Amino acid sequence: MDILPQLLINALISGSIYAIASAGLSLSYGLQRILNFAQGHFMMVGAYAFYAARILHQGSLPESGVVALLVMLLLGLASLYIFVLPFSSFSPLLPFVTTLALGAMLEASVSMLFGVNVQSISRGLEFESIEFGGVFITPIQIVIIVSALSLLSLLGLLVHCTSFGRRIRALSEHRYAAASLGTSYTGTTIIVFCLGTVLSGYAGILVGLETNIQPTMGASYTIKAFAAMTLGGLGNLWGTVLGSYLLGLIENLSIGLDFGGYSLPAGYKDAFAFVIILGVLLIKPEGLFRRVGRRV
Amino acid sequence: MFEAPLGFFVGFYEVLRSEYALHLCVLLGIYLILAQSFNLVFGVGGLFNLAHVATYAIGAYTTALLSTELNVGVFQCLLASALLSGLLALIIGAISLRLATDYFAIGSLAFSAVVSALLINWRSLTRGVLGIPGIPRPEWGGIDFNGVQNFLYFVIVVTLLCLGAMWILFRSSFARSLKAAAQSDVAAQSLGRDVARLRIWAFFISSAFAGIAGGLFAYYLNYIDPSSFSLTEMVLVLTIVVVGRPGSFWGVAAATLLLVVLLPEGLRFLPLEPSVLGPLRQFLHALLLFIVVYMNRARLFPVERMV
Repeated sequence: MDILPQLLINALISGSIYAIASAGLSLSYGLQRILNFAQGHFMMVGAYAFYAARILHQGSLPESGVVALLVMLLLGLASLYIFVLPFSSFSPLLPFVTTLALGAMLEASVSMLFGVNVQSISRGLEFESIEFGGVFITPIQIVIIVSALSLLSLLGLLVHCTSFGRRIRALSEHRYAAASLGTSYTGTTIIVFCLGTVLSGYAGILVGLETNIQPTMGASYTIKAFAAMTLGGLGNLWGTVLGSYLLGLIENLSIGLDFGGYSLPAGYKDAFAFVIILGVLLIKPEGLFRRVGRRV
Repeated sequence: MFEAPLGFFVGFYEVLRSEYALHLCVLLGIYLILAQSFNLVFGVGGLFNLAHVATYAIGAYTTALLSTELNVGVFQCLLASALLSGLLALIIGAISLRLATDYFAIGSLAFSAVVSALLINWRSLTRGVLGIPGIPRPEWGGIDFNGVQNFLYFVIVVTLLCLGAMWILFRSSFARSLKAAAQSDVAAQSLGRDVARLRIWAFFISSAFAGIAGGLFAYYLNYIDPSSFSLTEMVLVLTIVVVGRPGSFWGVAAATLLLVVLLPEGLRFLPLEPSVLGPLRQFLHALLLFIVVYMNRARLFPVERMV
């Protein structure tokens, strides 16, 4: 039996989700040098906002999507103004602690509002999986791959072909030099941070549609996003995107690989991915991909 | 005339003697060791080690497995927990020597993720999410620590020994050098301190104490599973140390009392479902953490002044 094509497709799917979730985080890190420990919890909140709109209030798919993304926009603004900006002129360790607190608060609030049990947001959307020459794929998974490709291309256009993108790149390269030439640091930071939040909320909805949602799902996605960023180099946008797909590939191939008749049990794929992250941190902390000249 | 206050004191005494109060005291002892050991590495050493609860988990599983599978005695179990947790923490130490703050935070988080993934998936050893049941209470020199009261005496002795050792450590030149290295490692190095060695020892010692706390936890509950060692637990330990002021021995001890005993007990008087109470407690811990960090943001981790 040849399962390699199926594993490659699965790698593409999980890589797409990590890429959507961590691309904004990477841009934000480039600007602020701050790790957001609530990243995965933002995904969880996005999925629950979608759940509330679609299942509890019987909204249609596009309506629920718009509501969820608006919630994410507001959450992003509130998080930035309350949990990040007041600490920006002090030790860079402080936002780690405050975003950890933010993540715990989001998880606790969602548990209190919606209960701790597993919920489904794809109710009423029964899809047949489609077969292409031995490879199975569901329509949701096609949506995941296509949205990743289109969102990442749009992000690429934004960063490399617009004046706003030029501002992001200038500020990431040298914050004070760019600010002294009249670029607004705070304004750019707000837009980039909210963009990252909305993107991770969208990734959360995709995860929810593909599997289930639970208040405790956030922490593991935070770690996955950090893992993708580490593989690609912190603050390196395209490195992070490549790192996301590489992470998906590592996770899925680690199950399928055959070590002389002994293959790794499926449950170990997370552990295997994190061991690789530790290895990369110890051997090549700047990430696997060389930054050509400039940041971003 | 004295009846009302007397009644109050009798009632108070009864509560203190009750099984439930004993349970709280045992929990307090375990968390005192856990929080104080995190205080050593984070409060004094300034090392943001998010894998501290992972080493606590390693200690708990070591004791649980040795006592159920091999019937090893209590002191050997706790010693093995301390050593194994401490030795595995050397990996974290190695990461910290190579990486600056942001990268180290990710590295320690990845380490704790590896540990929890192994606890869940290495089913032949840890039984996965089912956990390890039937951990026997210790027995030593003819004394059976099976009853809660006897077990409490045992926990008190171990806690006092650990806290005494840490109290001496907090006053030693080791802690002063560690604190100096946290403020400026270049300055500490130029005064002849071996910063790398200091930090490795700090990781080893604090994780070994966390391992002992884990061993006590396993003995006390008789049952452990991976859900007791999540990131939520790490946030609780971090909250205790930040609320008690990082680096302050008595402050952290008082904060442990507040957050492990007084706050949950106060919440029990609220008319709420148990399913809401757990998340509410988690929410209040995180809120308290945020408020304390917000109020002390200029003092908590002083930024080095540039000359």
